Amino acid sequence: MDEIKPDGGTVMVVDDEDMVVDAIKGFLELETDHLVLPFTSPRDALAHLEEEPVHAIVADLMMPDLDGVQFLTQARRMRPEATRILLTGYADKENAILAINEAGLYQYLEKPWNNDALAFAIRNGVERSLLFRALTERMAELEAANDELAGLRQRWIQAFL
Amino acid sequence: MSDPAIEPTAREITQARLATLGMLVAGIAHELNTPLGALNSNHHVIERALLKLGEILEDEVVTPDELDEVRRVVRATESVLRTNGIAVERMVSLVRNLRNFGRPTTSEPRPVDLHEGIEGTLALLGHELREIEVVRDFGELPPVVCHPNRINQVFMNLVHNAAQAMGEGGVLTVRTRAEGDHAHVRVADTGRGIPPDVIEEIFEPGFTTKGERIGMGLGLAITLQIVHQHGGDISVESEPGRGTTFDVQLPLRQPAGPARKEASE
Repeated sequence: MDEIKPDGGTVMVVDDEDMVVDAIKGFLELETDHLVLPFTSPRDALAHLEEEPVHAIVADLMMPDLDGVQFLTQARRMRPEATRILLTGYADKENAILAINEAGLYQYLEKPWNNDALAFAIRNGVERSLLFRALTERMAELEAANDELAGLRQRWIQAFL
Repeated sequence: MSDPAIEPTAREITQARLATLGMLVAGIAHELNTPLGALNSNHHVIERALLKLGEILEDEVVTPDELDEVRRVVRATESVLRTNGIAVERMVSLVRNLRNFGRPTTSEPRPVDLHEGIEGTLALLGHELREIEVVRDFGELPPVVCHPNRINQVFMNLVHNAAQAMGEGGVLTVRTRAEGDHAHVRVADTGRGIPPDVIEEIFEPGFTTKGERIGMGLGLAITLQIVHQHGGDISVESEPGRGTTFDVQLPLRQPAGPARKEASE
């Protein structure tokens, strides 16, 4: 079992083709400090997301059963903070552009992909997700503080009535 | 069905060839893209891995920490090379499938394993069949004397039409049998079917239910013509909403006399 590297973030890679998943995993493990979660079934990937959050998701567009846009749209509902990146094959550009809105895409990359561009998108995606999470936490803290203040104010008012 | 008035013209035949070629090119580009993407990425990984190893060896001393890194890099490279092997194999098999499509049409007929052509067709049209379940119900078939590139065009047209009729989802069944003195190849889909009022016209040049797809309408006229040239026939059964089955019958023994000349190229 690989050691968990919390600083590098967790990246989910989903493609029905073993060789694509293996290639991306091999590259990311050699060149980056991301923890890579490879999946060849989008349904299994969704089941994993149900249990655990990830920082970035890289998914192929053309997959039987559940295509990349459908998969990322569901992933977005479950884990809105996970940054979504779509890999598209030959002549799928139009579909990818449609998906930008539907699945809330951060970026799409064309196959054959360039490793440096992929690594760059993932790194930025992980950072974005970490910021998103930090922001959500701060918002929750602010809300809690606000509630506390409101409670105090209520108690003061009651004390003087 | 061999009324000369409805035989496709030479120009229409050329158009149909181009349409098939277009289909092939789209399929090949798509099928090559996956292994190519993996090879491209892995090539980059191996380059970087060698660079890393070179850096470690530069001072001719390998510290224990560096040794761990060397092991990690070697492991990663091994895994990447395994993937490359699979990717190359995939590309080789694609080219092998193309071989029969690329043979010049003037070549002499020869004994052919029809299953090979069917498998090649299914592989080349893989991108159209991604959402479709493909059932291979293959029986024992002796080699059939034919022009494999032309017969493969028959399979390609029928499988392409079946995929188009089904859109997303459905079952494509390819059934092969030797019955009497004929080889039967049945291509059955669970698509929208052909309305009874037009089923008589589907083998006429220009017939299409696809409207905008100029050229594809010739598919069945050409398909029938090729099969006739091989001394065979095609029958069709269809039920709207349930699907369509095309049955291609090819003689297992060539008819006596000199082999029939192909239509002028």
